[in-house]
Amino acid sequence: MIQFALRRLLSTLPTLLVVTVLVFTMVRLLPGDPARLLLGEEATPQALAELRRSLGLDQPLPVQYGQWLLDALRFDFGTSVKDNASVAALIADKLPTTAELAVLSMLLALVIALPAGLLSALNPGGLTNRVVTLLSLAGISIPNFFLGILLIYVFSVQLAWIPASGYVSFAEDPLRNLSLMILPAITLGTASAAVLTRYLHASMTEALTQDYVRTARAKGVTHSRVLIKHGLRNALIPVITAFGLQLGGLLGGAVITEQIFSVPGFGRLLVDAVFTRDLPVIQGMVLTSALAVFAVSFLVDLTYAAVDPRIRYQ
Amino acid sequence: MRHAKTLGLFALLALGTAAAQTLTVGLDADPPRLDPTLSSALVDRQVLNQIFDKLVDLDQNLKVVPMLARSWKVTNGGLTYTFALRPGVKFHDGTPLDANAVKFSLDRHMTLEGSARKSELKSVKEVRVLSPTSVQITLSQPYGPLLAVLADRSGMIVNPKAAQKAGKDFGNEPVGSGPFVFVSRKRQDNITLEANKSYWDGAPKIGRLVFRPFPDGDVRYANLLSGAVQVINPIDPKDISKLDKNARFDVMNYAGLGYQGIHLNTARAPFNNKAVRQALATVIDREAVDKVVFYNTVTPATGPFAPSSPVYIAGSAPKPDVALARRKLQEAGQSNLTFTLLTTPGSVTTQLAQLYQAMFAQAGINAKIEQVEFGTLLERSDKKDFDALILGWSGRPDPDGNIYEFFVTGGTNNYSGYSNKQVDALLNRARAQTAMSARKASYNVALNTIRSDVPYIFVYHQRNVLGMSRAVSGLKPIPDGIMRFKDVSLK
Repeated sequence: MIQFALRRLLSTLPTLLVVTVLVFTMVRLLPGDPARLLLGEEATPQALAELRRSLGLDQPLPVQYGQWLLDALRFDFGTSVKDNASVAALIADKLPTTAELAVLSMLLALVIALPAGLLSALNPGGLTNRVVTLLSLAGISIPNFFLGILLIYVFSVQLAWIPASGYVSFAEDPLRNLSLMILPAITLGTASAAVLTRYLHASMTEALTQDYVRTARAKGVTHSRVLIKHGLRNALIPVITAFGLQLGGLLGGAVITEQIFSVPGFGRLLVDAVFTRDLPVIQGMVLTSALAVFAVSFLVDLTYAAVDPRIRYQ
Repeated sequence: MRHAKTLGLFALLALGTAAAQTLTVGLDADPPRLDPTLSSALVDRQVLNQIFDKLVDLDQNLKVVPMLARSWKVTNGGLTYTFALRPGVKFHDGTPLDANAVKFSLDRHMTLEGSARKSELKSVKEVRVLSPTSVQITLSQPYGPLLAVLADRSGMIVNPKAAQKAGKDFGNEPVGSGPFVFVSRKRQDNITLEANKSYWDGAPKIGRLVFRPFPDGDVRYANLLSGAVQVINPIDPKDISKLDKNARFDVMNYAGLGYQGIHLNTARAPFNNKAVRQALATVIDREAVDKVVFYNTVTPATGPFAPSSPVYIAGSAPKPDVALARRKLQEAGQSNLTFTLLTTPGSVTTQLAQLYQAMFAQAGINAKIEQVEFGTLLERSDKKDFDALILGWSGRPDPDGNIYEFFVTGGTNNYSGYSNKQVDALLNRARAQTAMSARKASYNVALNTIRSDVPYIFVYHQRNVLGMSRAVSGLKPIPDGIMRFKDVSLK
């Protein structure tokens, strides 16, 4: 298992390097001059030149990239152009909030998807199956911004049960934190739940038709044991992948949901940075998201290997 | 144990009163830099004005009134300004605010690397301390707008000790002498200020002032309705009438300083032809714009000076005249005019662009809309890489700030590439005059020429529109759009 983990880690290094090059060039390809945006409409040509020089934007691209990569290896992502704060500190400040949101959403998604996917797979063609299919289709189709504003309208404006927006850290006030996070978590979680339900339904349906399930049944293994040990365990493998992809995406920034609920997380910082062409912040954040996706997919592979021993030895 | 209980009770009581006195304000963006020297975003000013006092301030009629400076004298043909400072004013950390602090702040605005104040103060030659309560500013050439400039970020006085210690990080721990003291900030979430109990002009009526950013207009509105915030600034035009009908809320709608319209690139075809530019201006229906896009909340414009400006010239906007436009186009030999209208994405800008497009089409003019994001728009306007572009100006209290750089040859904001010697001479003369009546006369003549040359089509003056709970009172409508919370109270 350890050997598998090491092999898996080493194989990501070249990909990571490619990612850094892509991140850097993509950010440079963004239209609009950061100095111009920062100094606004009244900028004089001298002030613009002065700022470009101090941002290092007058250097050739490979030099800028090399310098950035060397610094990034030491977790120094530079200083925010907009508000002069360290990019690493900004990210460290925002990441826990988004991580909490992502974890809550995925928990919610699992709580919904596991029973829903199983029940619908066990009743092919039944009423449960049709209701679950309809709901998961709705969950996938309804855009986040619409669901978010709808939730605010119903629960904050009309019923006044939950504050419309704001953020308090869990350590500071756990109850208030949860009450503020519940609507964003529902907004994000229901969409993920819908995707996971579809996956689970499909793979469980397939697993239940396999020979080993029939054999187990023929041997007189109890119904619940067949379902869980033989059916679910095998059906979970593609679901784990889907779960990992969803979680990785959420860690990369729940951009729209954070905007709607004014959650001061990763996604909002990213949107702000893109609008102000805050290059060091964008670069640092995209790289961090890439790392988060790598980390999650690494963990997914480990889980995978634990669930299905065949994978370890390939 | 009993002590702990009593303490707990006191803490609860304290929390209770503090909570009752907290006013939360929803803004449309997170203010990036709380340093008056480095700030370049408009939204910064909403917060900066609560933390920092300025040498002078503006009243509801845009008159310059005393603030830190009790009085001032202009001598030497408009080259020397001598300010008498209010004695006994203290910064939030208790250090006295004297002439040295004023000199320090102005020098910092003029010299700090990356200062956004340099161009506003470029006519200042020297700042001299005459006594602890007297400061003299000498100019290299007469500059009428100086006082108005000192009523904004350039006139804000920072605490020298704190500014020297923090350097460029001063914006993270700003220390001024204003009615509110900076407490904390969490980016993209809130900026929290507390009342300055020993403020020289009396303590504010609210105990705590919190600013929160909501970039989305619908979210901002929902937060006001749900009671999470008590004031939102700005409010989307489409929500104004809904809020007006709601008994729990008030809409404050008052004149602003800016103008909006279309730049025409006079440096290349087709708009290097005056008759073509005139044809375009002739088909704009300003009242339709007001009605369709803004639900009757803007004022049709005929020039860069808003109705609140001391040099505003009253008169109704010209009615659209399609027949005249067609004649002008024929005269220019451009019966099949096609051009590109550059704008930014956004619901209001898109609606505007489409409305203009339809108006041009009435005269047989084909406008193609191209949308680029704001940074690219600015870059292309610098390079004069456009035919026509939709861009306005938020406005300045002094008339010079709304006309000079836009229409003088080679001006920083002269995106149209406009150049007219007669206009240059008039604008320079107006800037060197101090009497407003004389300046108004100069502007009037210059404007007649600009209107006939049409480097820019003035369409409307935006207004300041904010929504607030009925519990809030005491907010004054100052045309610069900056909220002043010292006298605001909460029921």
